[in-house]
Amino acid sequence: MRIGDLMDRDLTSVTENTPLKEAIEMLSQHNLTGLPVVDEMGFLVGFISEKDIIKASLPSYCEYLEGATFIPDFDQFSEKLRKKVMEPVGKYMTRKVIYFSEDDSDLHAALSLIQQGLKMAPVVREDGVFVGMVSRAHLIEHIMCDEDE
Amino acid sequence: MIVTVTLNPAVDEEFLVPEFRPGGWFRSKNAIRTPGGKGINVSMMLAQLGYESAAMGFLAGFNGAYIRDVLRKDRITTNFIHVKGETRTNVYIVDESGHIETGLSEPGPYISEEAYNRFLRNYQRMLQRTRLLILGGSLPPGIPQDIYGELIRMAKEYNIPTIVDAAGLPLQSALEAGPTIAKIDHRFMSRISGISLTSLDNIIEVVSKLHDQGVEWATTSYHIYGDVFFTPKGIYLALAERRSVVSLFAAADALITGLIVGGEEGMDVEDRIRFAMACAWEDSMHVEKGFSSRKAIEALMPRVQLERFD
Repeated sequence: MRIGDLMDRDLTSVTENTPLKEAIEMLSQHNLTGLPVVDEMGFLVGFISEKDIIKASLPSYCEYLEGATFIPDFDQFSEKLRKKVMEPVGKYMTRKVIYFSEDDSDLHAALSLIQQGLKMAPVVREDGVFVGMVSRAHLIEHIMCDEDE
Repeated sequence: MIVTVTLNPAVDEEFLVPEFRPGGWFRSKNAIRTPGGKGINVSMMLAQLGYESAAMGFLAGFNGAYIRDVLRKDRITTNFIHVKGETRTNVYIVDESGHIETGLSEPGPYISEEAYNRFLRNYQRMLQRTRLLILGGSLPPGIPQDIYGELIRMAKEYNIPTIVDAAGLPLQSALEAGPTIAKIDHRFMSRISGISLTSLDNIIEVVSKLHDQGVEWATTSYHIYGDVFFTPKGIYLALAERRSVVSLFAAADALITGLIVGGEEGMDVEDRIRFAMACAWEDSMHVEKGFSSRKAIEALMPRVQLERFD
């Protein structure tokens, strides 16, 4: 089946200029783990995930130590996050985004999501305009529906 | 893309009661729960007729999540701003014996300035991919009363045709901006014009003035089962049959849906009116919102009485 036929046609997204604060609120209100970043015309330009925001707020030594296990408490994290909330999403988003086109097959999407370790990915129209999201949950639900039929 | 804007969506709960009267306690034979609000109704009815659309506005709480889920299952594109509080519930009681409908509506969640600005930015982005815009319904607390005028003016900058179905000050602001098609609440028009709109001549006199404001098509209800249409090709009175009508709930949204589909399919003015009236009529023949089938709508088209005024 085409991804375009099973994707979630939700266009919730942010732009590069959206403050991190707004992106964090949207992630929480929409119960999402990541948001596509689009330009004013709706073209996909990036993706901002919870992970990107957490990474941006961790003390810089965590990067050298390749982990956050050395953090004694939340203070350093929350202080850094508060300083960054008004900064634009574009500064912290992932620019090299894994995405699918509407005509990609469900199998191709499933394999890519597993290989890349992603829970969800944006779907774009032929011209690159963002049109929806596909997630592992959608694919599993789709396979289950086929079984029921 | 066809885009519908519903600033104050609702979960519509319809209860069928044999003999409803205030002060009594009733067990409903049937309860129907559906997403509602004018724009959302139009999106759902368009989907039934095979047309894709995107719905936008504000959603909140459990009701908001329910609406979003149903729209997604119907493969309607969603682009809502989620806000604190709870999307309203509208309750309709249909008295089966007396054929009387009673409605109860909530105000909806408060929309903060921040959420409103977020919506406007979202709307501006959506206009880039919109080819027809439908605005309708009441406004939630916090939204300026002149918003429809503002949204129509923004759409006009991109030459996007607009359809509006509203009442009160939001309708007045919309009319000032000159939408392409306007569904006029005749009680409101009667109040602002100071003329009783019970007679056809008075309706024609008042609504004809809207053409001067750039409104290409205008329609307003005439008695219960008729509508007057002001079109670029003349003024028409269209009547449906009274019998077989069960519930007029959402019939106005079905009429708008019919006008959209008629326009999309290039119907001439008279067929477009007949199709729109047949959509409203078919919707009113059952308690469930929407249509039994396209065939059922088309079967009603020849039965719509149409009279042209020169």
